[in-house]
Amino acid sequence: MNLVKVIASAVGLSILSATPVLSYPDRPVKMIVAYTAGGATDLAARTMATFMEKQLGQPVVVINRPGAGGELGFTEVQSAAADGYTIGFVNMPPFLTMPIERKTKYSPDDFTYIANLVDDPVALAVNIESEFKSIEDIVKHAKENPGKLSYGTTGVGSDDHLAALAFEREAGIKLKHIAFSGGADVRQALIGGHIDLGVYNLGVMSREAADNLVRPLGMMGDSRWDGAPDVPTFKEAGYDVVQGAARGIAGPGGMPKEVTAKLAQAIQKTVDDPEFIDLAKKAPLPLRFLQIDDYNAYIRQEDEKYKKLWASQPWN
Amino acid sequence: MDLFTVGFPTAFSLQNLAFCFAGVFLGTLAGALPGIGALTAVTLLLPITFHLDPTAAIIMLAGVYYGTEYGGSTASILLNLPGTAANAVTCLDGYPMSQQGRAGVALFVTTAGSFVGGSIGILVLLAMAPLLVSFSLAFGPAEYFAIMVFGLLASATIAQGSPLKGLGMVVMGLLLGTVGIDINSGTYRFTFGFFDLFDGISLIVLAMGLFGVTEVIAAISEKSGDRDRKLNKVSLRSMIPTREDVRRSILPVLRGSGIGSILGPLPGTGPTIASFISYSIEKRVAKDPSRFGKGAIEGIASPEASNNAAGQTAFVPTLLLGIPGSATMALMIGALMIHGISPGPRLMASHPEIFWGLIASFWIGNVLLVILNIPLIGIWVRLLSIPANMLYPVVVVLICLGTYTATNNLFDVWLLIFFGIAGYLMRILKFEPAPVLVGFILGPMVEENLRRAMLLADGNFLEIVSRPLAGSIIAVTVIMAAILLILSIKKYYSGQAMPAE
Repeated sequence: MNLVKVIASAVGLSILSATPVLSYPDRPVKMIVAYTAGGATDLAARTMATFMEKQLGQPVVVINRPGAGGELGFTEVQSAAADGYTIGFVNMPPFLTMPIERKTKYSPDDFTYIANLVDDPVALAVNIESEFKSIEDIVKHAKENPGKLSYGTTGVGSDDHLAALAFEREAGIKLKHIAFSGGADVRQALIGGHIDLGVYNLGVMSREAADNLVRPLGMMGDSRWDGAPDVPTFKEAGYDVVQGAARGIAGPGGMPKEVTAKLAQAIQKTVDDPEFIDLAKKAPLPLRFLQIDDYNAYIRQEDEKYKKLWASQPWN
Repeated sequence: MDLFTVGFPTAFSLQNLAFCFAGVFLGTLAGALPGIGALTAVTLLLPITFHLDPTAAIIMLAGVYYGTEYGGSTASILLNLPGTAANAVTCLDGYPMSQQGRAGVALFVTTAGSFVGGSIGILVLLAMAPLLVSFSLAFGPAEYFAIMVFGLLASATIAQGSPLKGLGMVVMGLLLGTVGIDINSGTYRFTFGFFDLFDGISLIVLAMGLFGVTEVIAAISEKSGDRDRKLNKVSLRSMIPTREDVRRSILPVLRGSGIGSILGPLPGTGPTIASFISYSIEKRVAKDPSRFGKGAIEGIASPEASNNAAGQTAFVPTLLLGIPGSATMALMIGALMIHGISPGPRLMASHPEIFWGLIASFWIGNVLLVILNIPLIGIWVRLLSIPANMLYPVVVVLICLGTYTATNNLFDVWLLIFFGIAGYLMRILKFEPAPVLVGFILGPMVEENLRRAMLLADGNFLEIVSRPLAGSIIAVTVIMAAILLILSIKKYYSGQAMPAE
């Protein structure tokens, strides 16, 4: 990896005086993932990197920079040179909510958003032996016993937690939040029957449902997902809650238009590749491709949503 | 049985055998290098495995994982540098043995103990996998809280000198463990505005600082370049333990293997806690506990058997439920998922070659590790003949590099040096570092799980105690605490009290 860096920077220096835009890319592209290797974002990045390489004709090197809930990695993307040789995954909602909660070293305003790739809806599951069969059962029980039903998430302010808060608001119920330090802990507690509800992403949940470990009751996508067509949306049940973990590609603010276009094109071709689609289905990675304009609009809309939410109901 | 019809033929294929060897070899190396543990090694190797056949990939990564448990004891024994956190406890008696000229014996015993521990772990895995799954699922927040408190009490007795100082160091560890984001409220605790402390202090940094860097500083301050240590012979004979050593080791190895096998599948606990608890149990059951910390062979045999057994049974929840018990296990799940294979209850049926091939490779890997490690002992022991003024600078560089590789953050290297200096001051004042680690590892788990359990029980502690499993563990803990208290009061009145501090 370091050797690659040395070579990359040496090559980079020698061509710095030349016009970088026309020949882009003529050296490896760094793709920063703000989470650990082997996680959901990392898997998406590495699956995609091999396909993007084919399109760009240059290696796409995935680099993990975990820390401070993703802040370390996002900051590294923002502070890199805006030449297209450093891009990274940005993860909604933490990417947008962290700067609202506290002072962060990066600002979402100073990024070039290229495309969204994955949108893994938050979903709600119960233990396979639970008496609850539908979202309605939960709401009914919670209305009769306020604050009794417990749900596990990956922590205060996580997409799971925000999703559960939104559900509580919509349904007019009160649940008991139990924070865990990681997704694996939530799933272990749910499968072991220590918590009543588990709130986490549908991708992982659909696998566990297939293994008969948990029973998903609903998911918070706009519409049902092909990977788990039996799981109804919250909207269908009458609760307007949409929340997911959206993972897209961004670079430092002020990237040249030509470079951004080239990257966007490479990503577009990747998501159209049947081989990639097949891998994404197996992983499973719920794909939701958004082009530059749509993605920028999406980011603005989400940012406003969270700012409003924070103003009316701070989550921590 | 599928293990023999599918497992061994898969594992014995030339390709898988080669990757198994590569895995255990790299694991041994990573374990021996201070600061680089299984997590770092697997993280670095993971991207490569995306281009491999999934069976070969998982066999190699698993080999790295349990291989580090073997290699990790080496630096603990030779240089008082724990290769991984799970080996920190091996320093306590391993290093004194090496200073007494018995480094070869210590390395031989840990290798043999590791092998026995690993083998028992595999047997337990094969025989009782479904039982271990339900056991690990029976652990909710209340049960975790109970077992962590038990662990804390058991390990608090690791200290050799003043119990009061030992307790003080446990508390210090507990405090260090609170640094970072509190997951229950999202607030930042004791970060002093340092962005790099948001995720808390890394265990690697603390362990390498308090043990490794401290040892180097101590070596400098001892005037001459030649430290007071007996020359270690390199001959085969000097490695063979005496009959007395073997007699003393057998029961501790078996006890350690048992403890490790049981604790391995519990998410979050794993080999490190298994090794600490094994050590403290050995110290407790020993006829003469005062030998511990001065080169007692039980003090290395049991924890090393324990962390290897735990390393094997830790695969149970990962493979059978798809739930990783540790960050390293999460990486291995990632290695399979990139190929579209998801571990879980169906893995055994859907991909028997992966499941059984992996289990079979555990046996092969453990045998390879013994074959690899016995000849290495001679080379390792020769390391000790390198003059300190040449050896220690290299060690410092390795520690810094290892820490940097693990966290990718220069701040952690400074923190490492800070803990090194703090550790040296502690040593001068006769405060021991091992209890700090215990408090640091167990403290956050005690706190988080207690808070979760209390939330679930609506603040009623009696409800926690009334849960059968949690209640029993708490009862045992209370009884143990009472016995300890009575013993020390008795000791005090019979005039053999520890010198007052």
